Amino acid sequence: MKIYSLAVVLVPHTGASTILAHASDLSSFSFYQRGSVGEFMTFFSKTVAERTPQGQRQSVQENNYVAHVYNRGGAEQLAGVIITDQEYPVRPAFSLLTKVLDDFTAKVPQSSFGNTSAISFGELNAYLQKYQDPRQADAIMKVQQELDETKIILHKTIESVLQRGEKLDSLVDRSNALSAQSKMFYKTAKKQNSCCVIM
Amino acid sequence: MPVQDRTNEFRACVESIRNRSSLPSRNAEAKQRLLNGNAKRGDKSEFSRMAAAIGKDISSTTVKLGKLAQLAKRKTLFDDRPVEISELTHIIKQDIANINRQIASLQSYVKQRQGQAAKSPAAKQVEEHNNNVVMLLQSKLANTSMTFKDVLEIRTQNMKESRDRQEQFTHATAAAANPAPSNSLLFGNRQPDPMGDGSLGRSSMKGKGRAHQNGDLLALDLGSAEEGMGGQNDGGAFMQMQLVEQQDTYIQQRSTAIETVEATIAELGQIFTQLAQMVAEQRETVQRIDADTVDIASNVSGAQRELLKYYASISSNRWLMLKIFGVLIVFFLIFILVS
Repeated sequence: MKIYSLAVVLVPHTGASTILAHASDLSSFSFYQRGSVGEFMTFFSKTVAERTPQGQRQSVQENNYVAHVYNRGGAEQLAGVIITDQEYPVRPAFSLLTKVLDDFTAKVPQSSFGNTSAISFGELNAYLQKYQDPRQADAIMKVQQELDETKIILHKTIESVLQRGEKLDSLVDRSNALSAQSKMFYKTAKKQNSCCVIM
Repeated sequence: MPVQDRTNEFRACVESIRNRSSLPSRNAEAKQRLLNGNAKRGDKSEFSRMAAAIGKDISSTTVKLGKLAQLAKRKTLFDDRPVEISELTHIIKQDIANINRQIASLQSYVKQRQGQAAKSPAAKQVEEHNNNVVMLLQSKLANTSMTFKDVLEIRTQNMKESRDRQEQFTHATAAAANPAPSNSLLFGNRQPDPMGDGSLGRSSMKGKGRAHQNGDLLALDLGSAEEGMGGQNDGGAFMQMQLVEQQDTYIQQRSTAIETVEATIAELGQIFTQLAQMVAEQRETVQRIDADTVDIASNVSGAQRELLKYYASISSNRWLMLKIFGVLIVFFLIFILVS
């Protein structure tokens, strides 16, 4: 499961949208395809962001890419688009988009939305790399994964406790037998003393 | 191809060759060999009978599988016969398990015979033949199981597609209202999970959270798709864009995921309680062992004391014994002197 690109798009009510920040990971494509794939990604992001009504989330599938869009609208009229393959889980994709949009609005002032080249939002790349493995990055998934690991460890512990129980049972039996035998030993020894007093 | 017993043909060949070559000196040995073959036929035919039975079972299972595959490939919208398909699936599963057991018993039978068989070259060949037959049957069973799995996958895909198409025709609101059916065990196995990862096992059926995973397919937004196509100057392939609205779904997915986490934590708590209970039970056992050990120690030390006393009395008793013997000898002497 991979993320191919991550983009923040300015979607005004009227007119065309513009990509404000963009990060992509095209390492899985061959070198000569990367240019066209990159263009396709930007075009796809813009189109899909324009088609999403404000305040809504959408997922669009095309060939084997899936684009998740979250058009937040609001004062800044921003939308976040993430393009992944089909295996990537949907929910963390949207939480990532929400996070990216919040970060973006916190960091980049609205005044600089006009000139795209002035905006530098380096965290996009960091997010892209980090979320390539959603299980580690997304909080809920990480918690779930750790819980699962703990559960496995607990299951093993219970198994070993069961084995311990079996061994303890065998120990009980053996100590019982040993106790009986030592009692017999004592009685026999005592009998020796009382029996042959004559000689 | 089931295992066939062609011993009769072989013997007919041998007869014909013998009649043709007509060497009377060889008669006795040939008869001897045939008799040996006859004697061993008892065991061999036992094995070949079992193998033939297994082969027949495998072929009948393959036929049933073919029927299931045909049923699964049907793409009709309404005449989907889920009851038949699930019944057939169940029957085939049972058959496969049965055949597996039979093959396992056959293998153990072969091993047992290997243990008792003589080491002559003929017996070795028979062993090899038996092993080969068992391996052949196992590989056939494996092929059948793979085909079965493929058929099941095709079936799930077709079911998904047919449901998508059904929901196209019935309207979107109706689709959002009724939850996605999880009718057969196949579809139940391929449920999408809220996390998107492989941890399917834990998530229980929380109705609303699960239902909307697939119940959010709208009718194709053909209007906007067409004007999108008109806008592009791309005369190439028609890009089908399936617009899926997920506004509610996202939030519900989140809530489902968190509920799952909560359930897992509760489960963990339960496991811990179980663990504590087991250890508490074992504590009583440990106490018993302890008491027993103390008893053993006291018994053994008491016995050792007694033995020491005995030893002391024995070693000090020697003088008494000498005295007793002395008295006896005196009496003996008195009696001798008197007589």
